[in-house]
Amino acid sequence: MHEDAPILEANRRAKLGSRYAKRARAEGRIPAVVYGHKQDAVPVALDSRAAVRHFNKGERVFRIAIDGSTPAYILLKDLQFDHLGTHPVHADFMRVDLHERITVNVSVHLVGEAKGLGTAGAVMIRPYTEIEVECTLATLPEFIEVNVADMDVGSSLTAKQVALPDASMKLKTSPDAVVAHIVIVQEEKVAEAAPTDAAAAAATPAAGPAVITEEKKKERDAAKADADKPAAKGGAPKK
Amino acid sequence: MPPFKIPSRVKFRKEFRRISRVNRNATGGNYVAYGDFGLQALESCWLKSNCIEAGRVAAQHYLKREGKLFIRIFPDKPVSKKPLETRMGTGKAEVDYWAARIKAGTVLFEITGVSEETAKRAFSRVAMKMPVRCRFVARRITV
Repeated sequence: MHEDAPILEANRRAKLGSRYAKRARAEGRIPAVVYGHKQDAVPVALDSRAAVRHFNKGERVFRIAIDGSTPAYILLKDLQFDHLGTHPVHADFMRVDLHERITVNVSVHLVGEAKGLGTAGAVMIRPYTEIEVECTLATLPEFIEVNVADMDVGSSLTAKQVALPDASMKLKTSPDAVVAHIVIVQEEKVAEAAPTDAAAAAATPAAGPAVITEEKKKERDAAKADADKPAAKGGAPKK
Repeated sequence: MPPFKIPSRVKFRKEFRRISRVNRNATGGNYVAYGDFGLQALESCWLKSNCIEAGRVAAQHYLKREGKLFIRIFPDKPVSKKPLETRMGTGKAEVDYWAARIKAGTVLFEITGVSEETAKRAFSRVAMKMPVRCRFVARRITV
């Protein structure tokens, strides 16, 4: 399946650190690191345009040729983006074997029109868009498709209900993790509860938030006042 | 009850301005996490609570009970302001408004359950209410 994985040409980075990484990015290269298989981590730099083209296509398994060496299989483990999420600034690759068992996140694609979505105000919420599975690289799918045509309002799809495409795959995410569920959205009543005209606004007291430090100070003062009362009674002279 | 959300409990009534921390880039909350599409701030600011409420109203008015809107920001910063024509001194002024600290890249609102076209139109209306430049974003590629 991944024998024809795309080849990434990479160069070993001689100088490390943010300053040299910035220079590499300015030259159109992405700093990356290759690790795994109990070998030393190798800092490399990839051609930015070629790498981003593959990332956007959804490719995760590559063959990397560092300084013209024999291509080795790698798996994209992590991708860091800039603050706007537009450009990748660093990539993590793990050395893998085609028959080695790995743990990866696979995105879940929902197919079909759920019958519950026909109800007014019904929305499908997706707390988890991907599930973690353990599989070999040869059986690693790009995504897992689930048919949600039978889902009604209030029903939910959990991770254990997602049919894994290969029998050797194991689910690592919590089996009860909700992948999708259909709920009726209630509109918030914040704005309606507010006074609309200026007179009503003026009549309403400016209720600020409760201040924790002031509450504690009041408690301390009250406790002190309680402690003083019996002392005053006991301290009265006897005649 | 004010017409917009403010914290229910705070540790201190007033806080320092910390203006030097405004012009920064977002390191968290800068990707679409809950919905399918989002509105991302491209500049940093203190976003007043009434702006957030205006954005919410604009989006929900356009969506008409369709889809679900997520508000990713919360106004947790009290900003105090002295009244006009007041002499300096006499201590720190009372709280004037509450603001959310927005850094460049922060995702302000998210929508799920609607088409991309509808989400774009809703967010274009929300963006008009915002004091900063915004853009429409979708989910990042998953790794």
